[in-house]
Amino acid sequence: MTSPLIQVSGLKRHYEMGGTLVRALDGVDLEIAAHTFTVVMGPSGSGKSSLLYLLGGLDRPTAGEITVNGERLDQMDENALALFRRKTMGFIFQSFNLVASMSALENVAFPMQFAGVPPSQRNEKSKTLLGQVGLADRSHHKPSELSGGQQQRVAVARALVNDPMLIFADEPTGNLDSQSGVTVMQMLSDLHKSGRTVLVVTHDPRMTRFATNKIFLLDGKVVSEAEYQSATLEPLLGNVGG
Amino acid sequence: MKFSDLIRLVINNLNRRKARVGLTAIGVVIGTGAVVILVSLAIGLQMNANEQLYGIGDLSQIYVMPAYGGEMFIAGPGMGGGGGGGGGEVDQDIKLLTNDAVQELRSIPGVTAAIPRDYMYAMTFITYRKLQGYSGVYGVGTNDLADFGYEAQQGTTALTRSTVVIGYMVAQNFMDPNLRPGQEIPPPPDLYDQQIQMTLLKYDDQGNEIRKNYSLRVAGILAESGSEADFSMYLPLELVKSMNEWSSGTRINYNKTGYNEVIVRVENADKTLEVRDQIIAMGFQANTMLDFVQGINNFYSILQVVLGGVGAIALLVAAIGIANTMAMSILERTREIGLMKAVGATNRDVLSLFLGEAAGIGFIGGLGGALVGWLLGQMLNVVAVVYLAQQAASQGGIPPSVAVYTPLWLPIFVLAFSTFIGMLSGLYPALRAANMIPVMALKYE
Repeated sequence: MTSPLIQVSGLKRHYEMGGTLVRALDGVDLEIAAHTFTVVMGPSGSGKSSLLYLLGGLDRPTAGEITVNGERLDQMDENALALFRRKTMGFIFQSFNLVASMSALENVAFPMQFAGVPPSQRNEKSKTLLGQVGLADRSHHKPSELSGGQQQRVAVARALVNDPMLIFADEPTGNLDSQSGVTVMQMLSDLHKSGRTVLVVTHDPRMTRFATNKIFLLDGKVVSEAEYQSATLEPLLGNVGG
Repeated sequence: MKFSDLIRLVINNLNRRKARVGLTAIGVVIGTGAVVILVSLAIGLQMNANEQLYGIGDLSQIYVMPAYGGEMFIAGPGMGGGGGGGGGEVDQDIKLLTNDAVQELRSIPGVTAAIPRDYMYAMTFITYRKLQGYSGVYGVGTNDLADFGYEAQQGTTALTRSTVVIGYMVAQNFMDPNLRPGQEIPPPPDLYDQQIQMTLLKYDDQGNEIRKNYSLRVAGILAESGSEADFSMYLPLELVKSMNEWSSGTRINYNKTGYNEVIVRVENADKTLEVRDQIIAMGFQANTMLDFVQGINNFYSILQVVLGGVGAIALLVAAIGIANTMAMSILERTREIGLMKAVGATNRDVLSLFLGEAAGIGFIGGLGGALVGWLLGQMLNVVAVVYLAQQAASQGGIPPSVAVYTPLWLPIFVLAFSTFIGMLSGLYPALRAANMIPVMALKYE
């Protein structure tokens, strides 16, 4: 039996906001196997984005252990985390996070600059990836000249430039129309099928169609699907009944 | 991140905020331009002062005198310590400038000549026709003033018992004593190859006036040197000695009383101070124009620092502008910083990028400032040189060849300094950017 790609135990993320202690994550234990398509579901404030940022090494836990590909992220310094992210992870964000002054091609090539890839290779690889997401003819367009769906496809291409084994997506369809959302979901599914491990944080139920693994979060804790359904549907049913 | 990628990113990032970078860089242009022009002015003034005050030949001369008194004192050339040649009482402890001492001076490595010089202390009237002149009269122990490095503008530098060689400005000091107020001052006489009268005066025990006349032909006029030679008359030492003997009524034996002064010439001005120190170690007093030049140079060095400091105040204001621009830029690009970190940029990459951008603003401003400062300096130089040349023509003196001088090191230094200042100004904002927590930067609204 192979060990899981991601292992989390006793994970807590607490912070202060306006004098109140917020328990974004409050004792999470989970395991994610390699080559899976994991969807993390939960209502707003359930801690799903906090979980993604902690697993991606973009935030520090208050307590607990995070092991990714055999490396303890919670014990790494900032420099080691940056290098680990560069080699292992690709990120897709809800608001795309493209650099406005750069063309689509330059945005895709951007992470490779920090990896020391020579310009000719950067250019070639970025063109190939833009072709794969169907934007070969838009490579010299600035983000402001692209639609939301096209921008998110550029972001998907950017997430792939360093050949990461793990793709993290934070609400990737949140700012897209339904058609563009489906296209992006399909792309993420294709990435999973190509052998990558994909973890998507979303409250878009359509995403579960592609998932091989589902994690449900409520109030900073992992719950079963039944508990999640009950907790999220009960108030609605109660209102109907009342 | 590779250095070439860093430079490319810095240029791209500066290029995308042209207006703001341009406005910030203008501040640096003003600061660095001010430093360049003010320091150039100070350097120009220093060069001008050196040109005006001292002929370069003088810098290789050392004026040696007996060390009268316990303390050394700085005396201008020609201001003999007094007493020596006059045959008065001599302190036994003082090492005299006898002929043996002169030989000793000549044997110092690097010394090309050691020439005794005495001044005439007899009461003297110098006249040319109706005009009366005023001048220092020196007797020198050489047959040719070329040994001092002096050149003749007219005639010769060679000395004989019946001739005199005079300095460039001596003729200017010949005036008509009977000139009435309001009467136009006649131009200075052309004394070359003319006979001038030197009348020595003394009184006997009964108070009767006794005169002795010497008629001397002006055999040469020295070229302007900017030194005391411009205002002096030169005779053979033996002639001046006999004049002083007549005046004092006593015989002068330089081997017993020593010479008032010996002028030592060094083969190269670079060795002047070294030889001067050796002469002092021998027990004599030794002064050189180089001491004065160094004093002047020290003054102008301080002036350069002060004027550079005035320009640096403008540069300080510009540095605050850079810090402000970078702080604003980092606020606006917080999410971009978060993204950079998410895609694998290390804290050092982020720090380098923002320091590079700040240094880039300093560099652009420094480049502009060095260019503007140099151009303004050139323009000012043309105007000032013309003005100062007119002043020199009307008031006498050597016209300056330069008023504002920008040495090559100055723009290079200013460029490096402004780049460094830019980097320093961007340090705090860049450190803030580098230490941002990625998730906080990504969520920044």
